[in-house]
Amino acid sequence: MRDIVAKEFPGYDADGIAGSSRRGFLKLMSASMALAGLTLTGCRRWPQEKLAPFSSNPAGWEAGVTENYATVWEFGGVGQGLLVKSFDGRPIKIEGNPSHPFAVVSSGKYGASTLHAQATLLDTYDPVRNTGILQRGSKAGAGTWDDFIEGIRAAIAANPAGFAVLSEATASPSVLDMRERLTKAFPQVKWYEYEAVSRDNELEGSRLAFGQSLRSRLYLNKAAVVVCLDADILCDHPASLRYSSDWAVKRRSADDGQMSRVYAIESTFSNTGSVADVRLGATPDRVEAVARAIAAGLGVAGAQAEQLSAAEESFVKAAIADLQKAGAAGVVTVGYQASPTTHAVAHAINAKIGATGNTITFHADPAGDRPTHMKAIADLATAMNAGQVATLLIIGGNPAFDAPADVNFAMGLGKVGFSAHLSQYDDETSRLCKWHLPRAHYLECWGDARGWDGTASIAQPLIEPLFGGKSVIEALALITNDQVKDGEQIVRRTWKQSLATELDWRKALERGTIENSASPVVETAVKAISYPTIVAQPAGTFVIRIDANPSIYDGRFANNGWLQETPDPMTKLVWDNAASISIRDARAMGIEQGDMIKIETPTGQTMEIAAFLMPGQPLGVLTTTIGYGRGEAAGPVGEELGFNTYAIVTTGAPSIINGAKVSKIGKTYTLVTTQEHHILEGIADDAERVRLGAVPGQSGTIIRDAFFSEFKSNKKIFPRDKALPLQLYDSPRVLNNTHAWGMSIDMSACTGCGACQIACQAENNIPIVGKTESVRHREMNWIRIDRYFKGDAANDDVAIVHQVMMCQQCENAPCEQVCPVGATVHDSEGLNTMVYNRCIGTRYCQNNCPYKVRRFNYFDFHHKDPREKWGRPWPGLPDTQQLDIDKVKRLVYNPDVTVRMRGVMEKCTYCVQRIHGATIKKRAEGSDVKDGDILTACQQACATEAIVFGNYNEADSQVSKLRENRRSYPVLQDLNTRPRTRYLAKLRNPSDDAVAPAPEEA
Amino acid sequence: MTTMTTSRFGVNIDNTQDDPRVRAPLVVGGKHIQDVTNAVSAISERPTTLGWKISFAVALMLLGLLGVCLAYLLTTGIGVWGNNQPVGWAFGIVNFVFWVGIGHAGTLISAILFLFRQNWRTGINRMAEAMTIFAVMCAGLFPAIHVGRPWLAYWLAPVPNQMGMWPQFRSPLLWDVFAVSTYATCSLFFWYVGMIPDLATLRDRATGRVRQMLYGFFSLGWTGSARHWHRYEKAYLLLAALCTPLVLSVHSVVSFDFAVSQLPGWHTTIFPPYFVAGAIYGGFAMVLNLAIPARAFFGLKDIITARHIDNCCKIMATTGMIVSYAYAMEFFIAWYSGDHYEKFTFWNRAFGPFAWSFWVMIFCNAVNPHFLWFKKCRTNMVLVFICAFFANVGMWFERWEIIATSLTRDFLPTNWWTFRPTPIDIGMLVGSFGLFFTFFLLFCRFLPVVAMAEVKTVMPEAHPHGHGEHPEDAAVRADYHPDEHHRPQGGTH
Repeated sequence: MRDIVAKEFPGYDADGIAGSSRRGFLKLMSASMALAGLTLTGCRRWPQEKLAPFSSNPAGWEAGVTENYATVWEFGGVGQGLLVKSFDGRPIKIEGNPSHPFAVVSSGKYGASTLHAQATLLDTYDPVRNTGILQRGSKAGAGTWDDFIEGIRAAIAANPAGFAVLSEATASPSVLDMRERLTKAFPQVKWYEYEAVSRDNELEGSRLAFGQSLRSRLYLNKAAVVVCLDADILCDHPASLRYSSDWAVKRRSADDGQMSRVYAIESTFSNTGSVADVRLGATPDRVEAVARAIAAGLGVAGAQAEQLSAAEESFVKAAIADLQKAGAAGVVTVGYQASPTTHAVAHAINAKIGATGNTITFHADPAGDRPTHMKAIADLATAMNAGQVATLLIIGGNPAFDAPADVNFAMGLGKVGFSAHLSQYDDETSRLCKWHLPRAHYLECWGDARGWDGTASIAQPLIEPLFGGKSVIEALALITNDQVKDGEQIVRRTWKQSLATELDWRKALERGTIENSASPVVETAVKAISYPTIVAQPAGTFVIRIDANPSIYDGRFANNGWLQETPDPMTKLVWDNAASISIRDARAMGIEQGDMIKIETPTGQTMEIAAFLMPGQPLGVLTTTIGYGRGEAAGPVGEELGFNTYAIVTTGAPSIINGAKVSKIGKTYTLVTTQEHHILEGIADDAERVRLGAVPGQSGTIIRDAFFSEFKSNKKIFPRDKALPLQLYDSPRVLNNTHAWGMSIDMSACTGCGACQIACQAENNIPIVGKTESVRHREMNWIRIDRYFKGDAANDDVAIVHQVMMCQQCENAPCEQVCPVGATVHDSEGLNTMVYNRCIGTRYCQNNCPYKVRRFNYFDFHHKDPREKWGRPWPGLPDTQQLDIDKVKRLVYNPDVTVRMRGVMEKCTYCVQRIHGATIKKRAEGSDVKDGDILTACQQACATEAIVFGNYNEADSQVSKLRENRRSYPVLQDLNTRPRTRYLAKLRNPSDDAVAPAPEEA
Repeated sequence: MTTMTTSRFGVNIDNTQDDPRVRAPLVVGGKHIQDVTNAVSAISERPTTLGWKISFAVALMLLGLLGVCLAYLLTTGIGVWGNNQPVGWAFGIVNFVFWVGIGHAGTLISAILFLFRQNWRTGINRMAEAMTIFAVMCAGLFPAIHVGRPWLAYWLAPVPNQMGMWPQFRSPLLWDVFAVSTYATCSLFFWYVGMIPDLATLRDRATGRVRQMLYGFFSLGWTGSARHWHRYEKAYLLLAALCTPLVLSVHSVVSFDFAVSQLPGWHTTIFPPYFVAGAIYGGFAMVLNLAIPARAFFGLKDIITARHIDNCCKIMATTGMIVSYAYAMEFFIAWYSGDHYEKFTFWNRAFGPFAWSFWVMIFCNAVNPHFLWFKKCRTNMVLVFICAFFANVGMWFERWEIIATSLTRDFLPTNWWTFRPTPIDIGMLVGSFGLFFTFFLLFCRFLPVVAMAEVKTVMPEAHPHGHGEHPEDAAVRADYHPDEHHRPQGGTH
């Protein structure tokens, strides 16, 4: 093609145009899209639109055809490799980059992504970001970049020693390069780095063990035995995608007779704990004691056996035996909340069993050897309060909200003469600074970042900054008066050594990673570790454990409705945080669900928070999360929700607070969960036992699970499908079509992380409903993760099963028979389709759906403000309501999927738009889709490949093979709905000879 | 004409005595046929009373409440109700089934009791039929507005269109549309046709021009000729025959909405007879709730006598016990079937979070009818009124139990949720009574509340030898030889 063009038009510089006009092109596209609104298809009269056609078609661009661009998002200092789908110049979906080692799944078929990465798309189109440059205290209130540059230069010139920069964690080579240039321009500048969710203890532990700060990288695909010491490696870890993917390999191999064993001792109930084979809840000091006992048992030099309880004893014994047996195929890993000594002990154990170099390797921290975040923020706050900081530039973060309570950051900020905050939101910190500078979203600017093992990636913009922000590097370039001020050129300059040629650069952009850029493996011996006496938890007190919030992280995603409405994977809480307390502790203190409690820490901080009764929570530990309790500065979606736990965070005890007093204060609070707790009520007990397969000798109708040892020895442990030939109406089972779409969900591989839920939300234009509507249980998510407790909840002795649930695409669909207008019908490929514009909303289908996966638009949720308690009347024609949606917010919609109006039923369609997108393309090429050509949105987000979609009529498709798997079963089989979605039973591997408990005495 | 005073059933006689040798009179107080006409016509002829005005104002206010709720609902979305993800149907459908149920008694009284020659029906049938019409109107409102896009509710009807869209006939909801609309149409015709001779009476007695015109228009030129009577009786008989199966079918079909689905607590083969029995129970309760005050306010105690009330009570007691049996049988089958979903659903009804409503229902529908074994209770109008009121409450809760509580907890425990009504839910339920009573009060004010012509046929005077000579004999003959009736000349007395 290019050759023909070159011959026809000599002098036509295709590359030059593509390169230099890219931004212009995106600008034009985004502008035209913003003008045009978007095609809100179906269910409505056509909106009046203005179109600005191209006078000539840009090269290589086809109208309406989406394109993927590789980019990277730096989150907490770690780059997440992404692939962003762009439709006519606007990003509409984020996926993982299959070329990125920490995003690609084990089979290599696609790149997975976390729920946070998925949800950043919504932030791109958050109209609240549209603040402009704000100069507080000035008459106009607004300012310009020129005013700011002039101001900051003058301020630095007046007091060069008083210039400080507070940055969020970053390992971006370009930012580090700009930092160096800043230091060159202003030699007295002090650079601090702070992140509320900090991996300081890991760093400290590594320093204890190796004398240097190293990152560890696990190879769980080689690990036969994994011991997690308070480590939620599968969900709450920057490398969780890779780890989950590798972990799943050793779980799935159960079908081939091999299965890893995961031990977890933890001071909360984490996702990793929920899928561990042997789990023990314990206070953090006991976690350390157990770590030391394991070390002692394995003969680590200097380790002393600790006094252990019976439960700890048996846990330690089993772990030691298994680690000894596994040798180099074992690994011990520690969570970031655990003490530095625990980390060091784990390093010593790994070295002892020979795991180092096999299941775990060490790499230099890409950000370099840095002081801990707690020390940095304390030092800066001290300097500010002492009046030593005259000029402060805050890059990202929100320290006025998330700095520890004891450093008085906000007070110190008031004493700074010239303060500026480069931030996406006009947040708490911006409001205390003299200047708020709009920061461009990462999808709007050039940049780079390094992954967990140091793999570097270039971030390229997908859209011109919607609200005119600047990236960190661009802002720094302005301050240092760099010759290069354009983001792209700054990044190119950083990489001019390793990406010397244009081809290298383009390759790196296309691939999304820079080859051979990972930090090399550091081989170093473990030093002798000192073992300070473990301070036991004082009797009658609680340990407060403060985690990153699974949804809104440290509070930065507070205004992101998708994340607010993604249930906490364990508690299923939405729109709030709470303090999880064990059932036994709650009973002892007379605390009920939603009761307000008061926490008093030994250092004198207090806060009030609602209690959440969580079966399986360790005794004496309250788990809560940060990020909530923000005021109006959080934005219209996130304000006034939950409780600010930063109030009790101190530099001395950032995530584990020992010796806290907890008391009931006699108030209650409405906590919303997407699931009720039933196991706590006697009434549900019997029904659940049958359904969840807790009756010995019976397979559950919903959940099937077994111990791996039984699964291996008993071929018939899971009954085969029963044939139920009798039925009133013919099912569309016998369809003469080459495609019979189906899905398989492996419950042994699901960690319950929730990425699939956000992926589905983004792909299928699913609205959020808000807290009050969640109280009324009207969430719109098409896919949800059901969490079942099995065991004795009253004594906190429970196991958890996660079950992904969405439309099962029944061949004999109960919903279809009862729809009076035929709005839900079967298609020839076996899909149970929804005809939105035919639906009148009788909700009969929902009532008749045994899986209750249909979702009804009780209001026009896209139009409704999630904070509104009641819907606001829309006096116009109902189908014109969506034309009133904010024009920027609309840009996030996937044009391939109808934006449903109020009064319409909706549900999972197996991403029918993706199916048809792929089949039409293949048909045009004269071929047919092959296995793996179509990925549903949930499947593509899933790191463990628990979700497999495919064609049952293709004999060797993965999904066909999985249907023949011994573990495969349909949920609620007795109803004869013949679901196309089938589940693979959950296996646990607690010991080599585990058997189901004997039937209870009647 | 002279007034009859020689009857052995004198003024204020107790006609609830069951003397097998003699038929109890259905009109007491020594009323002659002329007195019947006077008493009934006077209601619509005398000036509007204060009591009626106050009642009507209250009813209009409630109707206004319904209007406000409706306007809010239509402009905002049905999220203003408390319905949620597992509970797709709640107050809307509960109210629908409740009102349809009430709508049963009227046609049952006029059609089935007509075919069974139950002469006592004549005293109350007009009022009961009016009740039916208005109840079915209330019922019809709810399915139309309970859909998500009410402006498209007409898609439920098979309207030929260029898009080739057609209803889906496997859906019981569609059967419902046909069943209820057929029932509404037939009941309306039956009511109207039965009213023609009485409208003519009012026309003939009318003094004002407007009244003459309107009654004249609606009485369709009735002259009371033998030919008219002949046609009228044939039409009435045919409509009665047409309505009779509908009485049974409409609630059976309504019950299919639930029985045909596969939700535990809905999927029950006992539903059709159970629903019909329940509807008759509730319908008669509503007749009593309306007739007892009406006979007092409008001075109709001699026409709607204690015997009428007594008979209604007996039907209530009978159907109430059929309903109780159905409740027991549901529980038995839940246990006997061995289906643990079913077992749990019924256990949950009785002891789950909505147990209170279950026990309210049990008291109102299973305990309450047993008071009606006692004649003292049946003849005490206050007690009967209270009993009937409880029956109505109980029947609303029965539908609530079946529809909503079954939905709150079905197959997957992760879906379980509760239901909390919103002010709009309550407002619409209360407002629907406003709709009902507005129409009912208008009916009482402007139309003949008692079927005068029919009542006269069961009076002794209607018998060939019944001109006062052997009144007791006449009553018996009128019972067993209705064709021998002297036709009172409509509008000429």
